[in-house]
Amino acid sequence: MSIDTKTMPQALPSGRRRPGGAPVLIGIAVAVLLLLALLAVFAEWVAPYDPLRQSLMEALQGPSTAHWLGTDDLGRDVLSRLIYGCRIAVIAAAEATTIAVLLGVPIGLFIGYRGGLWDWIVMRIVEAVVSIPGIMVAIVIIAILGAGLHRAMIALGILFSTSFLRLARGVVLAEREEVYVRSARVVGASDSRILMRHIFPNIAPPLIVQVTLTVGAVLLAEAGLSFIGLGVQPPQASWGTMLNTAAAFMDFNWFLSVPPGIAIILTVLSVNLLGDVLRDSIGRGIAVDADPRAPAARYAAELPATAASAPVPRRDDEILRVEHLQVMVPGRAGGEVPVITDLSLSIGRGETLGLVGESGSGKTLTGLAILGLLGAGVRATHGSIELNGRDLRTLPRSGLEEVRGNEVAMVFQDPTTSLNPAFTVGSQIAEVLRVKQGLGRRQAWARSVELIDRVGIPRPAERAGAYPHELSGGMAQRVAIARALSCNPSLLIADEPTTALDVTVQQEILDLFRDLQDEFGMAILFVTHDLAVAADICDRVGVMYAGEMVEMAGVDALFADPRHPYTSGLLSAMPHASDRNPPLPTIRGNVPRPGTWPLGCRFADRCDFRIAACDRRIPLTGSRRQVRCVRAGEPELEAAS
Amino acid sequence: MLKLIVQRLLALVPLLFIVSVLTFSFTSLLPSDPVDLIIGDAGTQEQYEMVRHRLGLDEPVHLRYLQWLGRAVQGDLGTSFFNSVSVTGAVMQRLPVTLSLTVMSAIIAIVIGVAAGVAAALRPRSWIDRFATLGATFGQAVPNFWFGLILVAIFAVNLRWFPATGFTPLTQSPWEWLRSVILPSIALGTSSSAAIARQVRSAMVGVLQQDYIRAARAQGLPFRRVIFRHALTNAMVPVVAVLSFQITVLLGGALIVEQVFAINGLGTLAIGAVRQQDIPMLQGLVLVMVALVVAVQLATDVIYGLINPKARPS
Ligand code: SF4
Repeated sequence: MSIDTKTMPQALPSGRRRPGGAPVLIGIAVAVLLLLALLAVFAEWVAPYDPLRQSLMEALQGPSTAHWLGTDDLGRDVLSRLIYGCRIAVIAAAEATTIAVLLGVPIGLFIGYRGGLWDWIVMRIVEAVVSIPGIMVAIVIIAILGAGLHRAMIALGILFSTSFLRLARGVVLAEREEVYVRSARVVGASDSRILMRHIFPNIAPPLIVQVTLTVGAVLLAEAGLSFIGLGVQPPQASWGTMLNTAAAFMDFNWFLSVPPGIAIILTVLSVNLLGDVLRDSIGRGIAVDADPRAPAARYAAELPATAASAPVPRRDDEILRVEHLQVMVPGRAGGEVPVITDLSLSIGRGETLGLVGESGSGKTLTGLAILGLLGAGVRATHGSIELNGRDLRTLPRSGLEEVRGNEVAMVFQDPTTSLNPAFTVGSQIAEVLRVKQGLGRRQAWARSVELIDRVGIPRPAERAGAYPHELSGGMAQRVAIARALSCNPSLLIADEPTTALDVTVQQEILDLFRDLQDEFGMAILFVTHDLAVAADICDRVGVMYAGEMVEMAGVDALFADPRHPYTSGLLSAMPHASDRNPPLPTIRGNVPRPGTWPLGCRFADRCDFRIAACDRRIPLTGSRRQVRCVRAGEPELEAAS
Repeated sequence: MLKLIVQRLLALVPLLFIVSVLTFSFTSLLPSDPVDLIIGDAGTQEQYEMVRHRLGLDEPVHLRYLQWLGRAVQGDLGTSFFNSVSVTGAVMQRLPVTLSLTVMSAIIAIVIGVAAGVAAALRPRSWIDRFATLGATFGQAVPNFWFGLILVAIFAVNLRWFPATGFTPLTQSPWEWLRSVILPSIALGTSSSAAIARQVRSAMVGVLQQDYIRAARAQGLPFRRVIFRHALTNAMVPVVAVLSFQITVLLGGALIVEQVFAINGLGTLAIGAVRQQDIPMLQGLVLVMVALVVAVQLATDVIYGLINPKARPS
């Protein structure tokens, strides 16, 4: 439940992960692999004992000063065997990976380029091979070749070649379509030249990544095969054979299993980590993590003492009353940033209040705040939200869940995403009825069909069994409306409910809202950026700008006589069907992002009427008509609008 | 749904066919002559021909394949070269053992993976989230048979809570069966559970941002219901899509982990068959494994269709 990304382009910190993890870890990984390589090369010099030297007198000892890691069943020094095991590990990884690349890449290139029957046959074989557990494939190949380090590595090489084959084929198929390959062919370059010059550079990056993945997998597979006796053969020391010994003498000296295991884990972890680093750096090119600078000092993250706005007059038929609401989101540079401040409004029974403004003005968030569904990290910090006389902000979660659906419901912008794709539309309405109203299965279903019928969908019984993706956008929105009204809420929040729909359908949906309001008598909070829609359906309209209400008035008064320069700007930018002339240019500039709001009037940077007095906080004034502008009502502004 | 199943089944026939051709032709490439192995150095030419004829090796490869295939579709996978037992019988005898491990470890992997993934998605960057990420990183690096050894060291050798080795059939004693499979299944399932947790987490994080989740909550449905019914059903779609792969990995892993616990399953059978170059046994094993993988794929496909209406053929 995160907040709407549409309205909050930069507020939430994204799941940031620095490419490749911490530099310390990368350093450790490189050190581990370097140590491994050194031990592999200089095993004779480093190892304290001959790894094959037996001494039955000293069998199965624990760690001691003579034998740091103890001895195995034949009295051989575990540390020395571990060090020689490094050599085996390096040889194994190098052999199997080389074979896999040399086998997989050319075949993949060839079938990718030739296509046709070759491609078909090879790919079917590859599919068959990868459908068998890898270890079984290796076992079958070892059955043919025989056991032993080199043969087992050939087996693993063949097994892992399938991934290189698919990778090379994929790159060729993608590149073959590229324009430059085609143009090269037109010029008359030979097939092999095209392959070499154009395709190879594109294969290199994913190939490098795949190699690191394969090295890790080979090390594990080698250990597994040696462990079951099909890889490296005793008495040769490999980590896998050491574990084999350890397993046999578990009851006598379980410590034997620890050193080779740690060696394998450290090595594979290091290889995988480097692989991740490579993948990240190759995948993103040179990743630039442009960290946004902290908001300039002039702009306040903290709110200055708010100039008191006039209280919203109480009314008898009041359903919803919001007072001085403030909502904060986590800031990018830490701390919290306000996105809604000093927001007050009220809606009466059967009334439709429009909330208009550009995206980023906080109008959608206002709706979510009423529902208590702001999302992770976003919270209302101030003010009250009274619904039917109860302050929702003081309710516990269970109380809020009780209120949602029963007293207030919401219709979202995009019906194709606000209905759950996994369930039939009928069941989604029925579920609400069962959970919220305790109806039985059959009753709930019957009522769902009724509701679907009521919102004007033909063949309701049949459509109830449809999945959301089987309905058109308009139909789906009708279903969403039916669901929202299923428990007969006193307040319906509609967030741009027609914006995602076809123009021809928009009017039908608006008519439906009007009809249903007549029948159910609910109040509607209608959020929209479309002034024409607001003019069509609303009784009163509130204009929001940069997280606050700048003007609120009856719909006719607002459109006939806008008092705030921002409202005037919006209206003049609005296209009129009757207009011959194109609409006036929109207001210059953009809505300032949260955290970058000016301290004084937030519209000041875009306002043509700015004076010195605009640089301090401006309260919302007036009672029936409210406006947040020091110059509201001045003749100069009147003339301009 | 029936249509989906039939569709998938038909698509799997060619796969089985190709695998059978592959294994048959590969195992015909064995370098050593099985007849030599059977009769030993002292055998006469006459004995040699007799054994060769008995094994059917004097006939051309393609004829042998067709005969084998004909019997295989009737459930007869041939006779072991060495102890004259029926391959089908030997495989079927070991199958419950390996299946026990695979199924049990799959259950562990899925239950832990889904639970941890959901918990991590609900609280990004909490300790459980970090733990799941760490687990996934280690899961890729820790050999499961080594993990098995460590479990034996702790829980069998030192604490003596579980038997260190052996397998008790489910039919003999469900309780002892559970005790005998629990350690190997944990050894096998843990790394998969971390992988699944990571997939569930990322799918869940995506789903939780969807409008339909907020819509369900706006409708006043209880939080748990929204998470476990509305969100999880959708989050499982991409997870189920790769689940059959994970189970295939578990099946392969079981072959090795069996050795840690001295459990006589398909892995032991396969290793023995390799040592003895027992061609019919290897062929049968591969075919049975592919059949298992295919069955798992089919099952996950069906589940996929159930939770993702868009995937159903219309
Ligand atoms: S307060 Fe000043 S800057 Fe703000 S809208 Fe009014 S005139 Fe413009």
